[in-house]
Amino acid sequence: MNVSYRWLRALRPGSSLSPEEVVETLALRGAPVESLVPLAVALEGLLVARVESVEPHPEADRLSVCRVDAGGELLQVVCGAPNVRPGGFYPFASPGSRLPDGTEIGGARIRGVESSGMLCSEEELDLGPDGSELLTLAGELTPGEPLAHVLGLDDWRLDVEVTANRGDLLSHLGLARELAAAEDGEVRLELVAGAPEVALELLSHESEVSAGGVIVRILDPDLCFRYLGAVVRGIRVGPSPAWLASRIRAAGSRPINNVVDATNYVLLELGQPLHAFDLEKLGGNTIEVRRAREGELIRTLDGVDRRLTKDMLAICDARDPVAIAGVMGGLYSEVTEDTTDLLLECALFDPKSVRATRNALDMSTDASYRFERGVDPEGMELAVRRAVEIILATGGGRPDPVILDVGPQRWSGMVVSLRPARVERLLGISLSKEEIGDLLRPLGFRVLAASGEEMEIAVPGFRSYDVLREVDLLEEVARAYGYDRFPEVLGPFRMGTVPDHPLFQLEDQVRDLMVGEGFLEAQTMSFAPKGEGEAQLSNPVSTQEDRLRTTLLPGLLRRVEHNFARGRRDIRLFEIGTVFLEQDGREAPREESHLCVVLTGNRAPLHWQGEPQAVDLWDVKGLLGRLVAGCRLEGAALAEGAPAEGLLLPEEGFTVADAGGGMVGYGGRVRSGAVDAPAWAGPMWGLEISLPPEPAPPAVRHYEPLPVFPGVDRDLALLLSGDVKARQVEEVIRNEGGPLLVDVQLFDVYEGEGIPDGHRSLAFRLRFQSDRRTLTDQEVERSVAGILERLREELGVEARA
Amino acid sequence: MSGLETSVEALKRLEAEALEAVAGAEDAGSLEDLRVLYVGRKDGKISGVLRGLGKLPPQDRPVLGAEANRVKASVQRALEERKDELASGRKGRHPGLDLSLPGRPVWRGGRHPVTQVVDEIWEIFRSLGFTRARGPEVETDWYNFVALNTPLDHPVVDEADTLYLKSGLLLRTHTSPVQIRIMERYEPPVRIIAPGMVYRRDTPDATHTPAFLQLEGLVVDEGITFVDFKATLAEFARRFWGPGTKVRFRPSFFPFTEPSAEVDVKRVATRPDGSLEETDWLEIMGAGMVDPAVLENVGYDPERYTGYAFGMGPARMAALKFGIRDIRMFYDNDIRFLSQFAQP
Repeated sequence: MNVSYRWLRALRPGSSLSPEEVVETLALRGAPVESLVPLAVALEGLLVARVESVEPHPEADRLSVCRVDAGGELLQVVCGAPNVRPGGFYPFASPGSRLPDGTEIGGARIRGVESSGMLCSEEELDLGPDGSELLTLAGELTPGEPLAHVLGLDDWRLDVEVTANRGDLLSHLGLARELAAAEDGEVRLELVAGAPEVALELLSHESEVSAGGVIVRILDPDLCFRYLGAVVRGIRVGPSPAWLASRIRAAGSRPINNVVDATNYVLLELGQPLHAFDLEKLGGNTIEVRRAREGELIRTLDGVDRRLTKDMLAICDARDPVAIAGVMGGLYSEVTEDTTDLLLECALFDPKSVRATRNALDMSTDASYRFERGVDPEGMELAVRRAVEIILATGGGRPDPVILDVGPQRWSGMVVSLRPARVERLLGISLSKEEIGDLLRPLGFRVLAASGEEMEIAVPGFRSYDVLREVDLLEEVARAYGYDRFPEVLGPFRMGTVPDHPLFQLEDQVRDLMVGEGFLEAQTMSFAPKGEGEAQLSNPVSTQEDRLRTTLLPGLLRRVEHNFARGRRDIRLFEIGTVFLEQDGREAPREESHLCVVLTGNRAPLHWQGEPQAVDLWDVKGLLGRLVAGCRLEGAALAEGAPAEGLLLPEEGFTVADAGGGMVGYGGRVRSGAVDAPAWAGPMWGLEISLPPEPAPPAVRHYEPLPVFPGVDRDLALLLSGDVKARQVEEVIRNEGGPLLVDVQLFDVYEGEGIPDGHRSLAFRLRFQSDRRTLTDQEVERSVAGILERLREELGVEARA
Repeated sequence: MSGLETSVEALKRLEAEALEAVAGAEDAGSLEDLRVLYVGRKDGKISGVLRGLGKLPPQDRPVLGAEANRVKASVQRALEERKDELASGRKGRHPGLDLSLPGRPVWRGGRHPVTQVVDEIWEIFRSLGFTRARGPEVETDWYNFVALNTPLDHPVVDEADTLYLKSGLLLRTHTSPVQIRIMERYEPPVRIIAPGMVYRRDTPDATHTPAFLQLEGLVVDEGITFVDFKATLAEFARRFWGPGTKVRFRPSFFPFTEPSAEVDVKRVATRPDGSLEETDWLEIMGAGMVDPAVLENVGYDPERYTGYAFGMGPARMAALKFGIRDIRMFYDNDIRFLSQFAQP
C-alpha cells in the first residue's frame, strides 16, 4: 500500500519519527516497507508559474508565445498546449532544471521564436497519464513557489507491504495506530478545513429504510451485513482544492474531482471503501442490494461490459445493477461534472463473496482488496460522516438529515479469552495479567475481566478478522512485547523420532562419486515438452513445456547445447532430480529420483605430454559399472545394448537391469540427431539411473585376511573367432580356474597382422594364490592347461603360438 | 715429493678419469662396466688402493684411506646420478629439468552452488540434532493448503501462483506439506529439515524461477517455546552467515504459524577490494510457532505439544552468499559458471 509520510504524521500528533524511523518501526511491527521515495527529489527545481499573456506564434498555428512569471523577470516561453490561458498557474521547468525523466531543460528557438524553459503537463512531471494539456494548478499560489510544495509532494511515499491477515493496515489510520502503540501516543483525525457543522442522524432498520424520497433495501442479508447511505444535494463537482489533491497524489493516486477524491481520501485514510452514485441516475431513487440475476449486464467504471452471475452480489436501482458490490461501480451512475445530488454508500460485504466475485470477473480494485481482507465494522459511520464533511467543504450542497442505515447484523463486539499460563507455555516468557493488559491495550484491545486463570479480552472491530482465538492474542502479546526482547537461550532438546531419509544419504554419496570423477553438478527445471513428459499441467508457465519430465537426459542434453553454443567442447555434467511417471489407476504420478550424466570431449584436460584422447564407450561402461554399485541397485547388472527407443544408439550402449529384469538405467552413445551439436563437437555420451526410493543401508564390509603366501601370475594370449565374446572367455577361465584362481584381468585386445581374418587376440593375466601354502609351478601349469583345454572345447579358443 | 703425495695425486687422477667416463656413458650396461672397473669390490681400481693401504707406513694410512674413501663415494654418486638421468630419459649434456612446465591436470568436479548451500545448512542443523525428511512434489490441496490452516478461499491462496495438473493435483508451492506428512506418520518429538523443489507460476526473471529449491524445518515437542525458536534460528543464521552477523526477527504472517516471523540478517560482506562492509537487512527466512490448528489437523494435542517451523530459499541464499545478481544463472548450467564452484 502506498502511504504518505506527512499524512501519517498528521494522524499522529506529537510524533517525532523521521521517515526512516517510520520505516524501521513499521518493519518491526510486521509491516515492512518496500521502498521509501522522497517525492520532492523528482520535482526539484520545478516551479509554479503564472502565465501573464498568450499570443499566437507567428509561424505556427498550434503554438502560442507566452510571457511567464516564475518569480523573477518575465520569461518568453513557446507552448503547444491547447489549455494555456492568461492568468493561469502551471508547472514550469526553468532553463537549467530537469524533468523527472532526466531531460534537461534549456533555452531554445522554436520556429524562430526564443523560448526559455517549459510549461509542463501531468505526463511530463510523471504525475499522471495526461500529456495532452498543461497541468492546471488551483488554489492560492505565488509564482516562483517550489512545485513540490504546492502539489503537496514535499513528502515521502512509503510502499508498505501488508500481510493478508492485517486488512486494518491498509489505511493511514491503521498504520498510524501501530506507530502510536510503538510511541505510546495517540491517533487523532484532523478536522476537515471549511466543513460546516452537520448533525446526521442514523435511521436504522434491519432490511429497508426510506427517507427523503430515497429507499435502501437489502434483499440478500447473508452477503451484505450493513449498508449506510447518505444523501447530499446541490453540490458542485469540480477539481479538488490543493490540500485534497495533494494528499491523493502523495499516496500515489490521481485526483479526479472533489467527490471521487473525497471517497478516495476516506479509503486511504480510514480504509473504508465508499462509493458515490449520481442520485438522479438511480432509477426509482432506490438502492437494492441483491444477488444479480444470471446474465445481468453492467458497464463498470472502467468502461468494460460485465456479465454477472447469480452468485454475485450487486447494488441495483429499482431495475438494474448500478455497481458490483465491493468491487466496482457502474459507469451510468458515475458522478460527473453535471452531478448535483448524490448518494454515498458505505457498506459491509461478505469478504468471501467479494473475493469470489472479483476472481470470477478477473479484476481487483482498491475496494475489493480491502473487503477481502476485512473492513472495520465499527468504522463505517465515521467514514460516511467524514466523506460528507469533505464533500460539503469542497463542493457545497446540503446533506439530508439522516443516514439510511440498513442491516440485519450489527457488530456487537467480540471477546476472546487468554490464559496467562499459555503465554509462558508458548512464548517462553512469564508475564503477569497486568503486563499482558498493558501490552494489548495500546493495540485497541480491552481487558474485560482478569480474575482466575483466564483473561477476557475485547477485540476491536478493526482486528475482528484476525484475532479470533487465544493464539491470535498470544501473537499480539509477542508482537507488542517486541520479538527482539525475547532471550536467545539454546535449551536442551530431545532427538526426533524421524530417521534421516536414506535417499538423501545415497544422493550425497552419488554426488561425491560424480564429483570425484570430475563432473559438475547441474540443476534443471522439471518441466518438459510433450514426448519427454507425461503428467500435463493445466496452467503451464510455458505452453511448450507443459508436462512433468519422465527422464532427465533430454533436459541435460539441452544444457550441453547451451554450453556448445558458448564454445565449450569438454562437458561433463550430472544431475540428480525428480521425474514423474504416470501410474495406471492412480491420480498422482510416481516420483523417482534419477541420476543423469552427460559427457563429451577429452578424457583429460590438455597437457603438454601425450596426445589428447576423446571420451569413449569404455569410459562410459566403466562409469556405469561403478554407478550401479554406487547407487545401491541391489542385484542389478549391465546388459549389452541400450534400449531401442530412446536417445542412445542401441549398439553402443548398455542397459542396467535389476534383479527382476526391470530396466533401472541405461548409458551409452547419444544419437547424433538428438543433440544440436556444432561440427567440431566430439561424440556425446549419456547415462541415466533410477535411484532406489528407499535405499537399503550399504552392506557392512568384512575384512578378509591379507594373503601370506606369494601368488603366481600367468599371462595367456588367446585367439578368438569373431563370434566369441570376451565375457564368455572370462567366464570359462573363472569357472575352470577354481578357488586358486583369485583374479583375471584382460589387458590386451589385438586384431591385425599375424592374426587370422575374423579373429581377435585377447591377453589375460591370471593370478593363482592359496591362503595355505606356496603354489608350485606344476600346480599352476596344470590349472592353466585345464583352462586352455576347456576354452578349446567350449569356445574353440586356442592359445596363441 | 713423498710417496704419500704421489699416491694422493694418483687417486685424484683416477677420480677425474672415472667421472669423465661416467658422464659419457650412454646406457645402463656401460655404467655397470664402469662401476666394476672403478669401484667393483674385487677388482675395482679404487678398491685396490684401499686394499693396498696395509703396505703403507702406519702414519700415512689415515690420510690416504680418507682420500680413497672420498673418491670412491664421489664416483659412486656420479654413477647413481647418471643412472637416474638415463632412466628419466634425459640425455647427457642437456640443461636441467624445466620445473616451470605444468603438472598433469584432471577434470575438476563440483557440487552445484545451491547444493553446496543446502549441504552447509544441513551440516549446521545436523549438529543441532535434526534429520532430513522428504515428501512428494505433486501434492493435493489438502496437504499444500488446507491442512496448513489455509482455506482455499483465503487471500493468500492466489490460484494464479499455483501450477495445477490436469488431474486436479498441484505442484507444491512450498515444502510445508512435508510437515503434515511427517506429523501424520511419526509421533513427537519431531526435529527435521526437508529440502526439496517447489513450484510457482512465475515467469523467470533475475529473482524468480518457476521451480526452485526450498528448505523446510519443523520442531514439535513438549515445552518448545518462542525462545527455543528464536535461539535455534539465530544460532543457525550466525553460523551460516558468519561471525559478526546480526539477526533480527520481525512479526509477519503465515497461515500455518502463529506467532509468525520473518528473519532478517545484516552480515559483514567482503568487497571485491578486500575491505569489509555491513549489508542491508536481508530477508532470509519465514518462520513461526506451529499454529495449533495445524497440530490438530494431524492429531497432535496442541495443549500438550508446541513447536516451530521455518522455510528458506537456498538459491536466494546462494545468490546472496556468492554475489550472484541473476538466479537464472543457477539453471543455465554454464560450465564456466559451475566451474567457479568446483573443487580445487
